[in-house]
Amino acid sequence: MTSMEMAGFPILTAILMSTVLGLFSILLIPPERTKLVKQVSMFWATVGLILTLWLYFNFDHNKGGLQFVERVLWVKSLGIYWFHGVDGINMPMLLLTAVVLFTGVWTMWELEYRAKEFFALMFLLVAGVYGMFLSMDLFWMFVWYDVSLFPMYPLISIWGGTRKEYGAMKLTLYLLAGSALILPAIIYAWVQGGAVTFDLFELQRIGFSLYDQKILFVMLYLGFGILAAVWPFHTWSPVGHVAAPTAVSMIHAGVLMKLGAYGILRIGMTLCPQGLGYWSDLMALLACIGIVYGALVGLAQTDLKYVIGYSSVSHMGIVGLGLATMTVSGINGAVFQMFAHGVMTALFFSSVGYIYDKTHTKVIPELGGMSKTMPIASAFFIIAALAGIGVPLMASFWAELLVFIAAVQVFPVGGIFALVGLIISALFMLRVVQRTFYGEKNEKFAHLPDVSPFLAVPRIILIGVILFFGFFPKVMLDVIQSAVIPFVGSF
Amino acid sequence: MMNDFILFLPEFYFTIAALIYFGLSLKKTSEPWALQKWALTLAGIGLIVTVAASRQHGMLFFDCYRVDLFSQVFKVLLAMGTFWVIFSSSELKGIDGRQHAEYYFLMFICTLAMMMLVSSVELLTIYVAIELSSYSLYLMVPMRRNADEFSETGVKYFMIGVTASAMMLFGISLLFGATNTTYVSQIVVKLPALLGQPVAIVGLVLSLAGFFFKLAVFPFHIWAPDVYQGSANQVTAYIATASKMAAAALIIRFTGFSMGASPALANFLVVLCVLSMTFGNLVALIQKDIKRLLAYSSIAHAGYMLMGILALGERGYAAAIYYAMAYLVMNYACFMVIMKIADDGHNLQIKELAGLHKRSPLLAMTLMMGLFGLAGIPPTAGFTGKFLVFAAAVEKGYLWLAIVGMINATISLYYYLIVIKAAYLLKPVEEFPAIRVDGMTRAMSLVLVGLMVYLGLFFNQFMDLTEAAAKSLF
Repeated sequence: MTSMEMAGFPILTAILMSTVLGLFSILLIPPERTKLVKQVSMFWATVGLILTLWLYFNFDHNKGGLQFVERVLWVKSLGIYWFHGVDGINMPMLLLTAVVLFTGVWTMWELEYRAKEFFALMFLLVAGVYGMFLSMDLFWMFVWYDVSLFPMYPLISIWGGTRKEYGAMKLTLYLLAGSALILPAIIYAWVQGGAVTFDLFELQRIGFSLYDQKILFVMLYLGFGILAAVWPFHTWSPVGHVAAPTAVSMIHAGVLMKLGAYGILRIGMTLCPQGLGYWSDLMALLACIGIVYGALVGLAQTDLKYVIGYSSVSHMGIVGLGLATMTVSGINGAVFQMFAHGVMTALFFSSVGYIYDKTHTKVIPELGGMSKTMPIASAFFIIAALAGIGVPLMASFWAELLVFIAAVQVFPVGGIFALVGLIISALFMLRVVQRTFYGEKNEKFAHLPDVSPFLAVPRIILIGVILFFGFFPKVMLDVIQSAVIPFVGSF
Repeated sequence: MMNDFILFLPEFYFTIAALIYFGLSLKKTSEPWALQKWALTLAGIGLIVTVAASRQHGMLFFDCYRVDLFSQVFKVLLAMGTFWVIFSSSELKGIDGRQHAEYYFLMFICTLAMMMLVSSVELLTIYVAIELSSYSLYLMVPMRRNADEFSETGVKYFMIGVTASAMMLFGISLLFGATNTTYVSQIVVKLPALLGQPVAIVGLVLSLAGFFFKLAVFPFHIWAPDVYQGSANQVTAYIATASKMAAAALIIRFTGFSMGASPALANFLVVLCVLSMTFGNLVALIQKDIKRLLAYSSIAHAGYMLMGILALGERGYAAAIYYAMAYLVMNYACFMVIMKIADDGHNLQIKELAGLHKRSPLLAMTLMMGLFGLAGIPPTAGFTGKFLVFAAAVEKGYLWLAIVGMINATISLYYYLIVIKAAYLLKPVEEFPAIRVDGMTRAMSLVLVGLMVYLGLFFNQFMDLTEAAAKSLF
């Protein structure tokens, strides 16, 4: 790669800037004009979505490799680059981010309390997420990663629900404790690479000794693993999800948690394939425990958001398991699962958010028979639950299938163990659906309105995405494979 | 001759400014706002003069006084700190009106002394400069309305300060006895051979103690919390910003002379660095008074700064200089908000910040950015500063030290978040009136926020500057 490459219009910087500009334009609006704040937010979210869709359709999956590369020297004496590019691994993540931001803004259309600050922080968060997915420079990755984390604190503690201050503080401290390992690891990688470059691919080319790879990988794995809710570092996740407001849960569970898995894949596995080989048993073990543990704890929950929170722990375990196999189908499945789980959880939180806004409760025994009072809202939740179980023709089906095929081959015992977890997870999902939406109708909520057509649109978009990639998984897998096959070949 | 004059120009300018205010302090009465306005003008011109003299280099006064890029960078920071503190002195209610002229006089003297400090390369010159700055501060600290309430502070600061100077003087005499010279550049040449003798070790440690006292490094920090709390807000701001710059510069200069490889010195600094960070952050967790909280956080930040210094290399010194620069901006941003909210000069409690985002969104944002900067969250200068000092330390093989530093940063985040939570979340117990923020303060807030982000993201040219400054040390 030459020192500077700029292929025409810097589309990736434009995607990133759509959120930064969104942030600044929201800041300029007087706080009492909440309607305008939402319109401006919607505008910038749409710009981001359109640019990302354009990118997705113009991504050449036959060619593979890093495309739309932008690379400019940023700090000379340390070798920091403003370096963006897309390949088959971050392309699905970008699409996911754009879709979730767009639907998230739409979902929060009825928010009135301190709306300006809410949307400003949300755009700041998403700027961090886009930046992390787009950057190929370790310094910038870390900067964006942290930028995406700290808005969570005000977002949860101001607009949150159950035990919001506790949840916000726990989440923030946990996640930043994770970066306490990531930053030293990144600097260590820079030093071992001759202290001349933070460029991920140059560092990959330089290569590290086995000893360094072992140290680096475990630091990166634990650091990013906290955000990916790897068992036993997951405890912040259900608490944080429960406390967060709807759109924040959507972005957080849908997109932000993927940053953790993405970090392990992009930085950890790119730089230290042998380190992964050394630690893969541990990684698979923790992932399997996570899958089963999440499902079992989910079984005992009575709060809808806790149920989703623990199912996320379980589903992110599947991602971890897929990565640990180090095979093409395992990593394909893991990346696909990141995408599918993101869309599905966004739908989950979006429908629970609606039910909670109207009934002011998310405790399962208090609800009951919701499908009679709110048929549409219930339908959204049930579809998300079916996707969560991994019913065929949902996007997550293909993802889980790929991961488990690989897992049973590579880790026979753990793979079968995890499959049992999958059955438990189906059990608890169906149990939740049955208790919440069927059975005795709760008269207290009989008068409540169902989802209006306007507010149904974002949820329908999410369902559309789930079904589309469920029917046509090849559209996504072709893109993912274009990066994963050479990636696995390089191990 | 003319050339020598230009070398000494910033110091000369601040001498004149101090003399002007010495004259004004002889008048019986004077308008506080006029005093502030003129002081601000003088400090502003002083800043321009210092910037204009920033590319000078040479030796003065029988080689006791070294003007190089390093000293000039710190002089600019000192002049900027002074300018900012005077800017915030428009409502100097914490100090009796009759003493305002003295207050500015002492501040100019102190700035002059610290400028001399960053250029001194001879032990007695260093001592004289330190004492000049210390004595001005000994007078400024007790200068507060309701002095009875805080009279302990002034006495305590003076007693501890004088003890530190006595030890330092004793250390200097031992060093002189061992090496027969007071020039730092010659001492470091002779010292390695003498390090087997107790006299040299004791001398070195005692003289460094004086500098660590100024920077409030653990265990020389005991004065800091009480002095921060007991002084008028503006005086605290001055001690926390400008005076920290001089101390950091002195330690960098001193260790810079050691020419790298000195494991004993590095180990000594490692111990101080870890203790300072950990102690400062842990004690800050339980503070209720925001100035006391910032005092403990300053002890922790002295530790982070040491992490760059203990790498004992060009990159490390450059990182420490950058860190000092970032710290000046962030810390002043916090203090500016504190001084504005407590405009009657009382000590601000954290719970009084409740509802700040409604009383003044701009000040709340400035405070939040300042605190996030101190906590080391990107994209602020505080993050980049931490990143650079950690990079310098890891490059020298201190990976574990960087991890300790990051864990400390996580701990510190907790108490910074408590303050931010107060400003953005808590409902005030009683309704506080909206804060009137004049156009100047508004502009200053935006400048500070912009500067914090700019320093944090676009640090290429600042890296060039700090690296050139670090190079000029050798």
